[in-house]
Amino acid sequence: MAGQIKQLIDKIVDARAKGNKVVEGSIKAKLCLKGIIVNKYTEFSQDDPVIIEKIRVIAKEFDVKL
Amino acid sequence: MNINVTYSTNSSVSQAVTEIKDSLKGNNTNTIIYFASSNYSQDELSNSMQKSFSNAKVLGCSTAGEIISNKMLKNSIVAMGLSDEVISDAYVDVMDDIGDLEQVNTIFKSMEEYYGEKVIDMDNSKYFGMVIMDGMSGKEERVMERIGELTNIEFIGGSAGDDLKFKTTWVHAKGKAYSNAAIIAIFKSKAKFEVLKTQSFKTLDKILVATKVNEDNREVLEFNGKNAVEEYAQLLNTTVDNVASKFMTNPIGIDVDKENNEFFVRSPQQIIDGKIKFYCNILENMEVELLESTDIVEDTKEAVKRLEAEKRKVAGIINFHCILRTLELESKNQTKEYAEIFRDIPTIGFSSYGEAYIGHINQTSTMLVFYK
Repeated sequence: MAGQIKQLIDKIVDARAKGNKVVEGSIKAKLCLKGIIVNKYTEFSQDDPVIIEKIRVIAKEFDVKL
Repeated sequence: MNINVTYSTNSSVSQAVTEIKDSLKGNNTNTIIYFASSNYSQDELSNSMQKSFSNAKVLGCSTAGEIISNKMLKNSIVAMGLSDEVISDAYVDVMDDIGDLEQVNTIFKSMEEYYGEKVIDMDNSKYFGMVIMDGMSGKEERVMERIGELTNIEFIGGSAGDDLKFKTTWVHAKGKAYSNAAIIAIFKSKAKFEVLKTQSFKTLDKILVATKVNEDNREVLEFNGKNAVEEYAQLLNTTVDNVASKFMTNPIGIDVDKENNEFFVRSPQQIIDGKIKFYCNILENMEVELLESTDIVEDTKEAVKRLEAEKRKVAGIINFHCILRTLELESKNQTKEYAEIFRDIPTIGFSSYGEAYIGHINQTSTMLVFYK
């Protein structure tokens, strides 16, 4: 399987930013500071379960339901 | 639009505050922001400033050096007065224990009651936040992380300094001075504003993964599975004995947007027992890139030029400027050249022990820019 990490990242960004480009940028930066280097992940990236779990925890911190 | 700046080098708190009050009074000033040498009595200064501007929201901190339009100073107080044409409202609160993150949540609830809207819904083109933190606390990254979770508005600020004594720093609000604390404020702005973050580094395209860390102590024990000091030295083509001399010119950065050279810098502080201690924590398994310094003055000139690129006129700047950048400017006799960049712009700032924008950062200048 592949691409799940990017999908989850996009869901968090979309849920918080709601289309606001400035907020999109800052949410991506916040994800990077939490250890998820956003630009690394594409639809072809392997589904690393450790990273996926980390993203689920971050989603809760951002009050985003995945 | 009324944004006025002034300064005093008078060593007496009461006389310095009188000079500042005489400069900034009137003009419908409803917000005063100031930065002061740690050599002043901090409680007396905060009390005196609040009394002198009793109708305004007043906040500030101690510094490792002050900045005003065309000067970089020491042992002074710099102050900015903003009128009701710039700031329509402000809520300023104190986190009196910077380690108690629940206080951030409590303060945000109070802000929601004050403004009558949820902070998560606040329009980031109308509201901005400011955070000024104890620079000796070692806790800034956690405060910024919690703020970032709770709101989408941009928070900017920095870590108070103490003139390189590294003993005690102070943040000021409500007529008092606090240590081990943070000032958290949300402003409702009538003026257009933006945040400019500038750091003068380029990537060397060498990746380090922090494979073993002590987050609380901001220490990295291993990079890429090897001893941190040895690996850092090897990637810089130098020896373990010499690597610390390269820390200021070669920090590391988190790649947020490499195409636009957008890194969040983490600066190494010192080597302790084979570990590298940083001025900011690095998470375990975090991937960072080795950086190399470029030219602070030229980079800042370009950045400030771009601010007015679309025929916008800058009305004022508040500059949270890393002390490591100040030390580099001093070593190259460039402090005058740097300060001159802001000659025609009402500007205050200070040399900080850390900068705040989205997260806690090092060796960066984060500027809040107001437009006419």
